[in-house]
Amino acid sequence: MSEKEIKPSPDYCETPKCAVSATQKPAAMGWKELYLKEDWWAIYVGFGIALLCLLAFLNGSTFAKSLAINPGGLKWTSDSFGKVVDHFSNNIGLYGIQFVFWLVIFSITTKIMRIKTSEFIPAFFILYILSILAFLIGGWQDAGRWMLEPPIAALLIGLVIANVFPFPKWMDSGFRVEYYIKTGIVLLGATFPINLVVSAGPVALFQATLISLTTCLTIYFVATKVFGLDKRLAAVIGTGGAVCGISGSMAIASAVGAKKEHLYTSVTLVVIWAIFMVFFIPFVSKMLNLHPGIAGAWVGTSEFADAAGFAAASAYGKMAGNEDAAIQGFTLMKVIGRDIWIGIWSFVFALIACLKWEKEECGVRPSAMEIWWRFPKFVLGFFLASLLMTIIAAGYSAVDFNKVFKPGVFGPIAGLRTWAFIFCFMSIGLTTRFKELKSAGAKPFISFTVGVLVNVTLGFILSVYVFGDYWMKLGK
Amino acid sequence: MRVKCIDCRYFDNRSEMIERTFPGLNSLSSAYSSVWAESGICSRHELFLSPWRRCEDFQECLIGIADT
Repeated sequence: MSEKEIKPSPDYCETPKCAVSATQKPAAMGWKELYLKEDWWAIYVGFGIALLCLLAFLNGSTFAKSLAINPGGLKWTSDSFGKVVDHFSNNIGLYGIQFVFWLVIFSITTKIMRIKTSEFIPAFFILYILSILAFLIGGWQDAGRWMLEPPIAALLIGLVIANVFPFPKWMDSGFRVEYYIKTGIVLLGATFPINLVVSAGPVALFQATLISLTTCLTIYFVATKVFGLDKRLAAVIGTGGAVCGISGSMAIASAVGAKKEHLYTSVTLVVIWAIFMVFFIPFVSKMLNLHPGIAGAWVGTSEFADAAGFAAASAYGKMAGNEDAAIQGFTLMKVIGRDIWIGIWSFVFALIACLKWEKEECGVRPSAMEIWWRFPKFVLGFFLASLLMTIIAAGYSAVDFNKVFKPGVFGPIAGLRTWAFIFCFMSIGLTTRFKELKSAGAKPFISFTVGVLVNVTLGFILSVYVFGDYWMKLGK
Repeated sequence: MRVKCIDCRYFDNRSEMIERTFPGLNSLSSAYSSVWAESGICSRHELFLSPWRRCEDFQECLIGIADT
């Protein structure tokens, strides 16, 4: 269709409703993305916090270390609950400063992203209190025995609240799952050696590519050939299971021009299976006594969303006594191995849709810029933070690094990262209201489930038997 | 003249609206993410679309007419 043939109606905005809608409609975002998308804010906030920790260290200040306080390491029992009381009575001022610190950062940045501050602030207050509760449960002496490490405790508390006596929907403004996890990932980058990315990256990419292609093709084949489902629906749920959960589904849904119902279906399938996997993979890993690096890689291969995957990897890492190994394995597989391909998947499916499925309807050939537009920008923050901190840390001898720099800089960064992650895990629970999910239908559910079974099995074989020796080296 | 979906009256890509439209979306994703780019919902065809698409039902979004 040529532009000359377009004859827009000049009077379409005859109703006030239309006018309101039109005036709120954002134009092409362009450079505004730099302050309207949470990926960029996660980078700014992550770098800001890392810089704060570094400056505090260089000035001999313990401020950053104090700011990272949490009750997760108290190891209290019913007989020694006085420890908890003492901890809070001695540190109530620090917790107050910490709350204000997070509140100021997140309320200002979300306001710039056009999220209502009047909704964000009360919701964040509740989130902070519940997060302390999750840390407290995780700090119980027997928490590990009952799989109640802080990530799992946070998720469970949130799920119970959301599905038994849910908060009002408007409070979701403060339960920003993705913003918190991305901020945590950038902070993770600041303590992640870049040489590990360079050395482990190729293996992660190979394993991730193999698993993503296999899973996507399995779901697509079962959905289209066995059940005769719409190709667009098959593509949407296929990439939801193979690449990046709901974000992957959305990217492909818009690339192929999917129906709204297709996305409803994918959201439901991904949420249900992702929540199940948060408990399933750590449980099986514990039964098999897997090395946390291997379990982390398995989670990264077979979990559907970054947020849910970090919950599973972090929980198992804490259970196994080496959280770093599990987090590193997960990050390499999921963030580096799978997430960065989302733009390419999107571009390829857009090409297939426009050139093969709907030659007459597409109207315009997709641009390769799609790859950049959909690139998860926070990953750049992860890489950059890793590179910069590795360079700075290289200025210290091995002895000074372990004795001075690591506890002085990486310690507070890791502590604040833990907070960002807990905000995320609690938010997952608080926003997962199962009764609100739309029905997915039997055929899409079976198609997706077959893909999940293939993914989990293949992910286990690759992580444990094929590359197990490799993943076991993590966390040292 | 602009003829892409992003300039069409039927296309809406406000993050808040998208999160409201798809229950459960914000529990593991976010409409404020980079990966969403500027995708939105076409209310005429009930499709989820990239902003660069075009179709024969395009209607330019003329802002301000109703203010008069």
